Amino acid sequence: MKRHILLSIAFLTIFSCMLFVPAMNGRAEVPSVQVTIEPPPGALTMGDKAVFQGTVRNAGRQNLQGLVVYLSLVSLEPGHEHPMDLEDWSAQKAIRIERLAPGETSARDWSMRLIRSGRYGVALTVIDPRESRPMVSALIPFTVLPKPAIASGRIVPVAIGEPLILLFLFGLFSGLHNRRRQTRDRKRVRP
Amino acid sequence: MRYVGALIRKECVEDIFSSRGAVLYLVGCGILSVFSFLLVSNTELSLLDNAQAVYMMAGIVVGLAVLIAVIRGSDGFAGERERETLETLLTAPVGALNAAMAKLAGIVFSWFIIFFLSIPYLWTVGSTGQNLWPAFAYLFLAGTLLVVTFGGFTLALSARIKTVKGVLSIGLLLFLVSGSPIVMGPSLRQSAIGRFMDAINPFGVALNMLDSVVVDSQGILIQILPLSVLLCYAGAVLLFLHLAIRRMEL
Repeated sequence: MKRHILLSIAFLTIFSCMLFVPAMNGRAEVPSVQVTIEPPPGALTMGDKAVFQGTVRNAGRQNLQGLVVYLSLVSLEPGHEHPMDLEDWSAQKAIRIERLAPGETSARDWSMRLIRSGRYGVALTVIDPRESRPMVSALIPFTVLPKPAIASGRIVPVAIGEPLILLFLFGLFSGLHNRRRQTRDRKRVRP
Repeated sequence: MRYVGALIRKECVEDIFSSRGAVLYLVGCGILSVFSFLLVSNTELSLLDNAQAVYMMAGIVVGLAVLIAVIRGSDGFAGERERETLETLLTAPVGALNAAMAKLAGIVFSWFIIFFLSIPYLWTVGSTGQNLWPAFAYLFLAGTLLVVTFGGFTLALSARIKTVKGVLSIGLLLFLVSGSPIVMGPSLRQSAIGRFMDAINPFGVALNMLDSVVVDSQGILIQILPLSVLLCYAGAVLLFLHLAIRRMEL
């Protein structure tokens, strides 16, 4: 009987330890930096200047210094997933946060000009120089609706028509000018 | 005054009826047409924002205007000297300074024609986008000041240098150096040397102003400084032209 009680106590002890281990691990992995990014409200159309709101919060108990925050933009079009060049989108690539006190939040607008239609995802990454792992926000998917930027139906007639009209006008003016000069010369030659 | 008016009219009309003028304007139109076809046919360019496309086209128009101003300015007095008509011009009852002003008016008139020819192209590219009317206004202002600067400078050189070739070589070299912002692209212009070049180069100042107006939708208060820089260049060139004309030799 005593043996059974001892075994039960040992089993319960091991079992309860097993229950606590993940909770302890979870507490240890609570990040000291929390980063989020919010999309602008409403539909986004090509040509718009979209402003995403990014926040970086110090959730730890120590001051954070020299944080580097950068934006990532990826195309999520099926079969064409690739990172986008932020310079083409007129977006600021990265900022540096000098100091962030415990509990303090740094909020910042990240604007970009939407130059292409399609499905995209945007995320903010924070690099703390003292940490081995960067902190990345959730990927925020968004869709850019297409807009007919350059109407080929209007460009082609102008691109072909204008040089032809110019050629015709130059020919006409030049012909008239020469004819007038010849008439004047003939009048001068006559006695 | 009557003679000055006749001289200005002659300088302005000369290009329309001469084959040289026709070729210059047709080439300009051809370049704008090729660029328009690129915008339509190239998948990368066709996805550009309208404002960006208008800015790029305005840059090409300004480049064309400056190139034509350099070519016409080089021919100004040096061409008359080579054709042996300079003496006749200088003995006419208009004076050398008025003759120079008439030639500069002819160069500016050429720019007005180029601007007029570029309007349909800019309209087709940018009518569905933003800032088309400010683009026209600032392109006209910047183009006029640049044409006065470059045309006046090469005209002043042509009063001092004997051959058209010599003036044209210097003018084209100046055009290439000052047109480097178009070749360099935005990333290289962010460097210290690029920024310095942009600050002192009238071509770069004009392009930055167009970028600021058309793409970034910035107001007139921001444009006062670049416009002042362009005005200073134009004023300095007119002064240089005045000095060069006073010392002109046959």
